[in-house]
Amino acid sequence: MLALAGVIGCKSTPPGKFESGTMSFAKHHFLIGNKKQKNPLPDNHDTWNDGKEAFSHYCVACHGMDGQNIGVPFVDHISPPIPSLASKDVQSYTDGQLKWILDNGIWPSGMPGSKGTLSDEELWSIVVFLRHLPPAGSQGTPDIYTH
Amino acid sequence: MKPKYILVLLLMIGAAFAPSTWNVRAQESPRRIEITARKFGFDPSEITVKKGQPVVLVVKSADVAHGLRFRELNLNVKVDKGGTAELPFTPDKTGDFVGHCSVFCGSGHGEMTLTMHVVN
Repeated sequence: MLALAGVIGCKSTPPGKFESGTMSFAKHHFLIGNKKQKNPLPDNHDTWNDGKEAFSHYCVACHGMDGQNIGVPFVDHISPPIPSLASKDVQSYTDGQLKWILDNGIWPSGMPGSKGTLSDEELWSIVVFLRHLPPAGSQGTPDIYTH
Repeated sequence: MKPKYILVLLLMIGAAFAPSTWNVRAQESPRRIEITARKFGFDPSEITVKKGQPVVLVVKSADVAHGLRFRELNLNVKVDKGGTAELPFTPDKTGDFVGHCSVFCGSGHGEMTLTMHVVN
């Protein structure tokens, strides 16, 4: 009985509207820091290319090549859901907040921090890539899911 | 032949050879600095070079593929797994520049740096 209660208690279900809205508000206003830091890298095509390359090493497993989850096989089976990085919820973070998320991840979602795994330059270039994501589906399926 | 003509002749011969000596000096071979790249660091992790002096960074990989990039100096070299690659350049400004591994090589990739001091 106790084991059954434990299993039911741990069951993961998609968050409701109220839960999502509350968490989104908390993240944007309290939980995600670094709101005012500016991106030190220029917002140009070279930086975008660097960001795309860095993104392709580490982020595509969950976010897809396009940052919009296309080609990620488990995207419909994970909770909390993996957001499209083109969504208003993500795009309304400041550059500094996006860098903070890349550095530290978001607990308790599955988003891990990348500090140390990717350099500061690479992380800032990813922020530029996120601001100019390619059209959904235009980049195909991540290599790791095609073998 | 009078001694003064011999002297003039010697001076002319000397003058003819002098430029080639200068040329040899001007085309001095660049300084080569060997750097070993391995998960997750460069050895040495700091180097000092002179502004205006040609240099070749010889980057050897001791394990997987790596790279070395100095964004500010627009320099980048990639080296295959276990291979060697060369990055020739002449520093044209002084300062401290931090190079990063430019090929994703694992969990500590982001901390793999090499500091280059360029001095006068």
